[in-house]
Amino acid sequence: MEATTSSAAPEIDRQTMEVDIACAGFGPAMGGFLSTLTSAWTENPADPAFESKVAPGMPLQVLCYERADDISSGVSGVVTQAKAIRSSFPALDPAEIPMAVPVKSERVMYLLDPIGASRRSLILRAADALLRCFGPMLGLRDHAFTLPWTPGFLNKHGGLVLGIGQFNQWVGAQLMASGLVQIWPGSPVAGPLFSEEAENKSKKVAGLRLADQGVDKSGAPTDGFMAGMDVRAELTVVGDGPVGAVGQALDERLGLPQGHARREWALGMKFLIELPQDPSNLEDPSNSEALNTEALAKDKVIANAGGKLSPLQPGTVWHSFGYPEPEIFGFLYVHPDRLVSVGIFVPSWLTDPSRTAYRYLQHYIQHPALWPYLKNGTLRSWGAKSLEESGRHGEPFLTGDGFARIGEGSGSTNMLTGSGVDEAWATGTQLGEAVVELLRAGKPFTQKNLAASYEARRRASWVERGAREAENARNGFQNGPRGSSMIKGMIGMALAGLTGGKLSLKAQIPPAHKQIAPSAASLRPERVAELAQAAQAGGRPLHDALLTERGWPEIELDGRLLVTQQDALLMGGKVQAMAGFADHVIFRDSALCAACTHKTCVAMCSGQAITHGPDGVPLFEREKCVHCGGCLWNCGQSPDGVHSNIDFRAGSGGLHSAEN
Amino acid sequence: MANLLHIVVCAGVVPDPLQTLEPVTGPAGPGLKNEMVLPAVLDPWAACALYEAANLAAKNPGSKLWLVSLGSKAKLQQVMMTIAQKAAFELVPIDGPIGGFPDAHSTAAVLAETIAALPGLDRSKLLLFGGWESATRGAGVTLQLVGERLGITDQFQGVDQIDLREDGSFEVLERVEGGKHQLSVCAGTPAVLGWATGNLAEPRNNPQVGMTNMRTIMPALAKAKAAKLEANGLRYLSVSLPKQQRTTRVEKNLSPDEIAAELVEWIGAE
Amino acid sequence: METILVLAHADETGSALTRASLEAVTAGLELAARLSAPVTIGILAADAATAASVLASTGARLLAVSGEAFAQARYATDAAACEALCRAAQATIVLAPGTSRFTRVAAGVAHRLGGFIDTHITALSGTETVEVSRWFYRQRVEAVLSRDARPWFLLLDAGTHVAFAAEPATAQVEQVAVQLPEIHTTVSGFRAPAEDAQTIRPDAKMLFVAGAGWTKKQPDGQIHAAEAGELILGFLHATSSSLGSSKSLVDQGGEGEPVLPFLTHMNQIGQTGATPRHAKGLSTCCHGEEPHVVGWRFIADRRAISLDPNCGWTRGKADVVYIADAFPVMAKVNALLEAKKA
Repeated sequence: MEATTSSAAPEIDRQTMEVDIACAGFGPAMGGFLSTLTSAWTENPADPAFESKVAPGMPLQVLCYERADDISSGVSGVVTQAKAIRSSFPALDPAEIPMAVPVKSERVMYLLDPIGASRRSLILRAADALLRCFGPMLGLRDHAFTLPWTPGFLNKHGGLVLGIGQFNQWVGAQLMASGLVQIWPGSPVAGPLFSEEAENKSKKVAGLRLADQGVDKSGAPTDGFMAGMDVRAELTVVGDGPVGAVGQALDERLGLPQGHARREWALGMKFLIELPQDPSNLEDPSNSEALNTEALAKDKVIANAGGKLSPLQPGTVWHSFGYPEPEIFGFLYVHPDRLVSVGIFVPSWLTDPSRTAYRYLQHYIQHPALWPYLKNGTLRSWGAKSLEESGRHGEPFLTGDGFARIGEGSGSTNMLTGSGVDEAWATGTQLGEAVVELLRAGKPFTQKNLAASYEARRRASWVERGAREAENARNGFQNGPRGSSMIKGMIGMALAGLTGGKLSLKAQIPPAHKQIAPSAASLRPERVAELAQAAQAGGRPLHDALLTERGWPEIELDGRLLVTQQDALLMGGKVQAMAGFADHVIFRDSALCAACTHKTCVAMCSGQAITHGPDGVPLFEREKCVHCGGCLWNCGQSPDGVHSNIDFRAGSGGLHSAEN
Repeated sequence: MANLLHIVVCAGVVPDPLQTLEPVTGPAGPGLKNEMVLPAVLDPWAACALYEAANLAAKNPGSKLWLVSLGSKAKLQQVMMTIAQKAAFELVPIDGPIGGFPDAHSTAAVLAETIAALPGLDRSKLLLFGGWESATRGAGVTLQLVGERLGITDQFQGVDQIDLREDGSFEVLERVEGGKHQLSVCAGTPAVLGWATGNLAEPRNNPQVGMTNMRTIMPALAKAKAAKLEANGLRYLSVSLPKQQRTTRVEKNLSPDEIAAELVEWIGAE
Repeated sequence: METILVLAHADETGSALTRASLEAVTAGLELAARLSAPVTIGILAADAATAASVLASTGARLLAVSGEAFAQARYATDAAACEALCRAAQATIVLAPGTSRFTRVAAGVAHRLGGFIDTHITALSGTETVEVSRWFYRQRVEAVLSRDARPWFLLLDAGTHVAFAAEPATAQVEQVAVQLPEIHTTVSGFRAPAEDAQTIRPDAKMLFVAGAGWTKKQPDGQIHAAEAGELILGFLHATSSSLGSSKSLVDQGGEGEPVLPFLTHMNQIGQTGATPRHAKGLSTCCHGEEPHVVGWRFIADRRAISLDPNCGWTRGKADVVYIADAFPVMAKVNALLEAKKA
């Protein structure tokens, strides 16, 4: 008798496999967990604590399933303090990891809008005008005001700039070589297996169920059907990220702790750009044809007139805010070999329903503070990912009978410092140490034991301290009318950051679907519908049409760095989906979709995998999906007041790029 | 038993064909930029050969299947994480350079030597499989050279189908010119079959197969012998991306009728 | 001093050389002239004397292996025949067409002679030494290479040279004796699709490339696979074009999606498919499949119909791109072709 995740599922022949530890998702958190476990085992492989219960005489059977087709695929470039990572690898030499380099310099910039198209409140416009008047004396250059110092809470000094894809690959190779751990990419996990007792009520997790293969879009068996295997385990480690199917199913079954909710999100999208070989190509920005000349004429704030720019050094880290919309944060990290990660975060509290990330990113890189460096570069890769920005507010139950949660999906990301990788890694190592402790003590993986070992470690760690400091740091962004939340948001962050979280602004944060406010729309629903129709007829993406309508200049495509989103899917990300898996994006209530006027899901879709459908229900093409999960929270409709109208399930495929 | 087969599949590791490739020339000769960074896959044609071999081995109980692969250990390990779930095999890794620029004759010599030394291999039962070409060098000669070195004179290239008969003979369909297949009957093993795509769908990922495979794959990788490939006097005078960039006329405002008229005129023109 | 041998073989008739063989003859004669090297042509044919008649005017030494055993394309006999021809000619450079027949055996023959081989040669250059061009990574990287070791076998891609043509005349052919090897393989025939189902025509002037867009949802939200199939077949019949396809269209059957029943993996071009050569190519509904259809590389005159006005993949690769829906365009094209025929 085997457990099933859904009592409505028909009886099908399903294989079962017994392992000791089953893991969902391979990212930094799982890397931390498995590295800690492996390192303890390697010290003494004969240690009886590490003997498998399911395969006596053999070491622990530890299996990790990852959705992406390769463990290096579809993840992002980051800057991280790397405290926890360095603690796992004391002899870490960044040169061993492609794209890794120590942080050399940091800068925080407030970016003015050189075009005049962003949604700025009157107050912000007035503040911008003042800055433009007095800015040159304060060092305002290229429409950018660089803060005289980098606030301590943002400081990544001593840290690393990483390509997480390459880092994952490096970690994964060592783990696999150890012989203790097996990591299987291309293996989406459909959900957790709950213990058989009291099937529908059990909170005890007994393993994982892999996604069915050989099914059609709807999940119905076709040729070569193979029911997803049940992988049963004493301990299930859940590290499948903020939109992972296992984490979502656990939240559904267990609910969230009192007062917790996942309401704040952001879509991180970035380009990996290869800079021009010859630094002399870095011309005077005033020659940049991408600039709006009218704006420049009004505003003579141009730096380096007639001069040459010095090339960006590896390890350079820039943070920005204020452009292309006041609420959008941006970044530029310089890797070795003239590679630059440059991207933006489009948050859920950007109330306007006509959201986009791709087109905004194209405008962002053309900001005068960045473009002179990036111009003539080549887009090598591109990617996008949802970030769970609720931090500690969104923390789920970290432990339960038979399971523990680590990483971003466990609410570990620090929204004040804008740091997630090192925190995720740390939670993994904390679980790793806890598991080793329980194994050595011969204790079972009960909620009580996991709480006493893993949760206790986490609560006593810097991760928890940081999470508490950051807990309310972003509240300010939830206040105020359109385009004005930035000032309050930054004040809130500064308050929290400078007082260690003791002071912060208060806010009532609505569910993500309610943060999409039709009342804040720049465009009327009828106009959006007209634009959507015209865009579809002209083969043009909706987001392009919307932003142009809102006054953003058309992007002058150059076929190399400024390319259509469809081309970016090919040039950089290379999206692919393995045949035989079901669609993983489901529109729950088609009547709600049909009645929805703004269809934010279409404009926001990172891969243009969601498009307008004939009956008002969007169409989904999984071959174009990059699994960013953005649709999950970029839907303004809700069938039940809690969930959005989009269900994001386990799916195969995504980006094929290891350069992310 | 008549149809007890010993199938050896030679399969290389190639960059994921979807990646952007750029050649660079270093002191060791030409290679690809970021070669070790690019995601890798089992060569697409060789993968077809592997799936056909697994299918054949499964239909003929008692048969054995080896996968002999030359590539950098790191890349082999990465590729095995995907491929090992698809078919049961014994991996025979050879740690050597990846990529299309080493000389095929050297690759063949190393492969032949490795295969000849496989413990338990009965060469009279040998079916030597591989891709008829590769996504790297694409020369389509390595398998023939290995076959020659092993003294096998029944060789087939561009194979899309093999039908084994009870008496041990088999029928082979090889791709020839004009979208046709040549049909041959071979009296029996040993034989070399360079596969085109075959007719099998890519097998589903089977975690159980993967787990069993991996128990032998990781130790095999750990003790993979290193191979150095000789250049055999092969000299690269230049290695470059195609330079020709056409001037494209983009017609955005023509009606379907106008486009059709222009196309028909173009089709008719000499 | 180089000596050159060109290997040539007969077609199914056994008495006429294949077009690809005649192209290799041209290449051999050109190279010999450039290097001032003597040239020999070795013929593999059931009836070599007749097959050689077209070569009478070349002035080359003509060697042949003939007989019924060599009527069939089979490794053991073909390898023995080629080996014998090479040993008789004692050449340093062996040129041969990259036909399925020679591709099967040439590497083995090179090995038997202690030589080396390079295949898919697209150009021969050099005056002092021989330099050859070929593509790596599926026509994505072009290399010029040379070798010091001899004999050096070079298999030429079809369509890279003009086929040698001359009035047939009686030619002096030296028969080369071959010790027949043990024969375990019998060629029992060929399988080809029925004439009207034949969609691969290597000799066609035009390649029609169908992309995955044909079986995707159209603006009305529906898939029109049957209509797509009719339009494509209609065009192929009207123009006798060859059909190429992208991998993703060929693969679609695996997802239980509507497919074009006449498409097989044999139609697939590019990355993991064939590399056809035709004078003209028309690509339809292919956006985003460039990584797969680099088979375009050897199409001389290229046009595309695409819905995306900014498609970066057609720009710089095609000569003309029409921004339009391929369904109505192809329907009209077929109608016009029909009318023209009538």
